Amino acid sequence: MALLGYFTHLGILVCIYAILAVSLNLALGFTGLLNLGHIAFFGIGAYVAALLGLAGLSPWIDIPLAVVIAALVGVILAIPTARLKGDYLALATLGFTFIISSVARNWTSLTRGALGLPGIPRLGSISVVLAFVAGFALLCFLVVVWISRSSLGRKLQAIRDDELAAQVLGTNTFLYKLIAMGISAAMAGLAGAWYAHYISFIDPSIFSIPDLILLIAMVVVGGLASVRGAFIGTVIILLLPEPLRFIGFPPTLIGPAREMLFALVLLLILLFRPRGILGKVDIS
Amino acid sequence: MSSIAAQLILNGVIAGAIYTLVASGFSLIYNVTKFMHFAHGAILAIGAYLFYAFFGLGWAVALPVSIILTSILGALTNFLVYRPLRKRKASSAVLLISSLAAMIFLNATLLAFWGADVKTLPHANPIFDVGIASITATQIAIVAVALLLLLGLTLLMKKTRLGKAMRALADNKDVAQTVGINPERIYTVAFLIGSALAAVAGILIGLEQNLNPVMGIQLVINGFAGAVIGGMTSVPGAILGSLLLGLVENIGIWWLPSGYKGAIAFALLFLFLLFRPQGILGKKQREA
Repeated sequence: MALLGYFTHLGILVCIYAILAVSLNLALGFTGLLNLGHIAFFGIGAYVAALLGLAGLSPWIDIPLAVVIAALVGVILAIPTARLKGDYLALATLGFTFIISSVARNWTSLTRGALGLPGIPRLGSISVVLAFVAGFALLCFLVVVWISRSSLGRKLQAIRDDELAAQVLGTNTFLYKLIAMGISAAMAGLAGAWYAHYISFIDPSIFSIPDLILLIAMVVVGGLASVRGAFIGTVIILLLPEPLRFIGFPPTLIGPAREMLFALVLLLILLFRPRGILGKVDIS
Repeated sequence: MSSIAAQLILNGVIAGAIYTLVASGFSLIYNVTKFMHFAHGAILAIGAYLFYAFFGLGWAVALPVSIILTSILGALTNFLVYRPLRKRKASSAVLLISSLAAMIFLNATLLAFWGADVKTLPHANPIFDVGIASITATQIAIVAVALLLLLGLTLLMKKTRLGKAMRALADNKDVAQTVGINPERIYTVAFLIGSALAAVAGILIGLEQNLNPVMGIQLVINGFAGAVIGGMTSVPGAILGSLLLGLVENIGIWWLPSGYKGAIAFALLFLFLLFRPQGILGKKQREA
């Protein structure tokens, strides 16, 4: 039974991270936005759901609210940063992650700061949670597949490939970047809300930079602009360090070893297979 | 002026000098190679930890050994990670992502070797009273070294053949190559010098504050923010930007809890990226 519980736990994490990976792929892979603020949307979703849940709201209200607020924050971040490109966009969005994490750490009357928020209500047994997150992961994948095949997806990919040309042909690139960031942030918020309700404890370490690299590794390993790739990348990156637990690795070294492992995998993929496993485009 | 205000301004100048130290190496590498080498933060931390490791052997050994080893490590990162990527004609976004991965890798190595607990470098650090504020010996050293390094870097960039080659490369790689400049060799030199500067910054910061494995991440981003605010392409601009950042942060905690220091830095960076991306003294770039 313990083993079944362990696999269910892994399954839930895979689904939550798959939602994150596919939503980051929408911004990074399909639209070409080097957004290092994605982990902040995840954290915002988690905090909103946790705070509202602890205040006594039903999860069926707090999770949608977390999604809406994450989406709003995504659009608000996109408005000023839409005209930034490449390095500067990366820096501004990374700065945004630091600001949000600093607020979570210091607004102690609301977030309890570094103490974190314990006792976030769970939604039934872990198999029930797995069923729900698997359903939502599937829904997010279908939405991204649908977007990629619709005229919206073609416009986003046109912005990625040649923004100036897209503008010349009459696309309001500003508006479409807002839409892409909004949808991407909404999904990250959804993942965060489920994460908070599953783990039942969150603290400001949810905004950590290593976790951001973990997400980018999932997208890059799977391949940019590939929906199936995002899923495969998530499974590989998430499950790769798991054997470390069973070969008698010293527990204090598991954390650093995990980080080294996924940093190394990301570097090797960038060096030897820059398009990832199923990627369709290069990182521009 | 009250003595608290004077102390806050002095603290701001010291913080500005620390960011200048960090920014000097980072922006040297950025200006020559044109990508954001975030792993610079991890290299800075490793420099500080190497100094800590050799600290028992005395300053005369620990200082040169840690600076030289850190310098070599920086060049090695360039050789093993960035050079093969450049050979594949990887975009600067790929280089940026690889530098984040390298940063995580180096930080995790540091964590595995020395653990997550904070380390201190015990040393005599007399406090001087200057009228209405006070300053420690280490803080004086930080401000002095920051000024010396910037003077040295300005001379290097403007007066030497190496500096001219670096500027030529930064300006136009193809033309630089046709006049016989070997880009890879100059990149190696930039990483050697930049990483040695990172070690100096790491050691001084370690002496002034403490050592922890992730000390470099926030520092490198603040240092870079200072450089962006002042103007990436201008050395006086980098001092000015770092100073402004240090002052705004330290004076900002007059109104906000000190935990918000980092957020103030990014808010300032954000404003500059939006309204004056070339910085205070920088020239307009052809393509950002």
